[in-house]
Amino acid sequence: MSSSIILIGVGGAGCQISRGVNRAYGYGLRFLSVDTDALTGNAGGDFALLGGDRLSGRGAGGDLVIGKMAAEDSISQLDEHLKGVRMAVVVTGLGGGTGSGASLIILKHLEELGITTVIFATTPFSFEGDERLRNARSMQSILEENANASFFLPLDKLIQGETNMDRALARAVDTVASGVTLFWRLLEKPGYIKFDAERLRRILNNAGRGRFVTVTSAGENRVEKIIDEIKNSPLLSISTGQLRNVVIGIMAGEDLKLSEIGRLSEALREDFGALPSYELATVNDEDTFSGRLSVVTMLFESQKETIENGKSTTKSSRRSRASNKGKELLGWGTDFGRFVNSEPTIHDGDNLDIPTFIRQNISLEI
Amino acid sequence: MSSLNAVLELGTSNTVLAIGEMQQDGRVKIITHCRIPSVGVRKSKIINLEQVKKSIGSVLRESEKLQLKAGSKITLGNAFLIMSGTHVRTSPLVGTATIARQKVTDAEITEAQRSLRSFGLPPGREVIDIYEQGYDLDGIGGIDDPKGMSGSVLKVHALLVDADADRINDARSAADSENLELRDPLFSVMCAADAVLEERDRIDGSIVIDCGGGTTGYAVFLNGQVVTAGTIGVGGDHITNDIAYAFQTTQSQAEALKIEEASALPTVMQGASARVKMPGDSPLVESRTISRKALNTVTNARLRELLTILREKLSDLDLLHRLHAGAILVGGGAKMRDLPQLVTQTLGTVTRIGVPLYVDGLENEPDPERLAAVAGALMYVQRNYEEKSIFDFFKGIFK
Repeated sequence: MSSSIILIGVGGAGCQISRGVNRAYGYGLRFLSVDTDALTGNAGGDFALLGGDRLSGRGAGGDLVIGKMAAEDSISQLDEHLKGVRMAVVVTGLGGGTGSGASLIILKHLEELGITTVIFATTPFSFEGDERLRNARSMQSILEENANASFFLPLDKLIQGETNMDRALARAVDTVASGVTLFWRLLEKPGYIKFDAERLRRILNNAGRGRFVTVTSAGENRVEKIIDEIKNSPLLSISTGQLRNVVIGIMAGEDLKLSEIGRLSEALREDFGALPSYELATVNDEDTFSGRLSVVTMLFESQKETIENGKSTTKSSRRSRASNKGKELLGWGTDFGRFVNSEPTIHDGDNLDIPTFIRQNISLEI
Repeated sequence: MSSLNAVLELGTSNTVLAIGEMQQDGRVKIITHCRIPSVGVRKSKIINLEQVKKSIGSVLRESEKLQLKAGSKITLGNAFLIMSGTHVRTSPLVGTATIARQKVTDAEITEAQRSLRSFGLPPGREVIDIYEQGYDLDGIGGIDDPKGMSGSVLKVHALLVDADADRINDARSAADSENLELRDPLFSVMCAADAVLEERDRIDGSIVIDCGGGTTGYAVFLNGQVVTAGTIGVGGDHITNDIAYAFQTTQSQAEALKIEEASALPTVMQGASARVKMPGDSPLVESRTISRKALNTVTNARLRELLTILREKLSDLDLLHRLHAGAILVGGGAKMRDLPQLVTQTLGTVTRIGVPLYVDGLENEPDPERLAAVAGALMYVQRNYEEKSIFDFFKGIFK
């Protein structure tokens, strides 16, 4: 199962951060670096050089159009690294050439292959200058449209007040890692409440723009401390769109008590339980979390239409909305859409064309 | 001269043409039947007229070839149409007559019948059939023949089956282009019931379930009459689609998995392999296997949901636990592995696969339950249209 998710670092910053993420996970991730600069590949591991002929491995020079063209040139080179992949987490730093330009092409290509995509993109520090900020901003909404789920992380916020550059970058990497590795941890090291790959992919498919916050604590009252911090987190209380999905990962070592899970899930349900899609799972990883308890809360606000348990709300729009939902679901890319041209079968507000096991939230072990 | 009749079924999965002949003993013999996969039909509705025209043409030509092999040559001029689909609806009808002088007379029975038939159909609908369900006198029901009985108010009950006129006309247009005239439309599941039920089944209580590709038809019988019938817009195609979605396969891979490997029950039988090999693979994906348990879980979820909808319908009419002759499965989907057990579990009835009982010519047929509707339609036509043969009809049409 784990080998079906791949971490792809795009561009210099993206590759550097991804290496850090891989290290944070104990080097257990399937990982591919992609860049126009050949030097990036020297750090070892799987590497795909973009635009080799065009740029001779010299990099895109901060020009996102060059980055895009380089990606278009070499996109098929990624395929040998993508065998058996069903989900890809793309990490990139926006503002430069390769990160901003190539990421879009890569996302589109992954979508064509039917691979679920999640992108974590950092946006430049304010001191990096107007052009980089402009590049980043212009790519954000396009990337959001082309990935199943997307996270945009301003570097200013990631360093959280650290003044020392090294520590600041380390901190940025840690924060990104806590979000990125959640997916692997949920699938590879399941705890009491499990999650399976299909369910995760289904949630991510229409997730849209996301935010996440990671809170860690240890010792006595660790649960209460965490609940407190999550409830007061500014990140989670601002929303620009419609909050639709939340995924919560409770990660701990062997000392995690059932009562702690109960207390956490009760408290979090208060705030997030009313959302259309609320998912909670636990991770048991003694090596990483011995004695500590870490909770990652991921919220997604989708501007796209979502499944909402297959139930339509208004009568008049019921038919078109229902058939649209059916169509959106059936968008994997292979010869789907068997029911696209027929009237949807509606029973008690449910669109029965949507697979039963999805509407009934039945988890499958593929 | 023997009389020959033809029936045409335009289903979501298959287009079937069958020709039946009346024999000396009054039984119908199916002399040829052929089936070709349907194109252009979804959930039993025509969505692509051109494709359906081609299907009808193909099935006609196949039929002619088969007849030639058998040494006979029949040119079909007309056929009866077997209809299914959610546009076919049933509703209860009532006709009333007041009894003038205590005892029910013939005239009053006729009046009740006339009253029954004076219903108005909404525009765009066409009557397919009216099934009488018996009389009641002053509220006491279950009366077959009320003549001479005492009472003050006589009511006759019937089940009206009507369909979308456009859908019928679409089928007629498609057939027309192949010089085939489509005569009266017949309701598929009721035809199937005629073919597979014994009289005891109708009296003791039974439900016929027609497992089609696009839709599932049902007809319930009790005390000798049909109580209710209808169509649910979920069929074998939904199982295929669920499988394709769950395991990210193509429709044809999913169809193969459904037919060859899937079971209606979510457990894995002892001795069966835990993993199922994927039929065919795309070049980027390593040779895949999927969990048999997961495959059965997906299949079971869909079938259980469908059967639960049926169960609710039975419960609403207070019929649950009264169908002692059980459930009889017909159609292409009837032979899904372990389906009878699932039906028994969900509906609480004994379950069997339906076999046409009153027609000949199906002895070498491996899956006779697929031809239940066709067999029943031929029986019906034989009973009601004995006088005219298709030759007579053809003589009348001078093209």
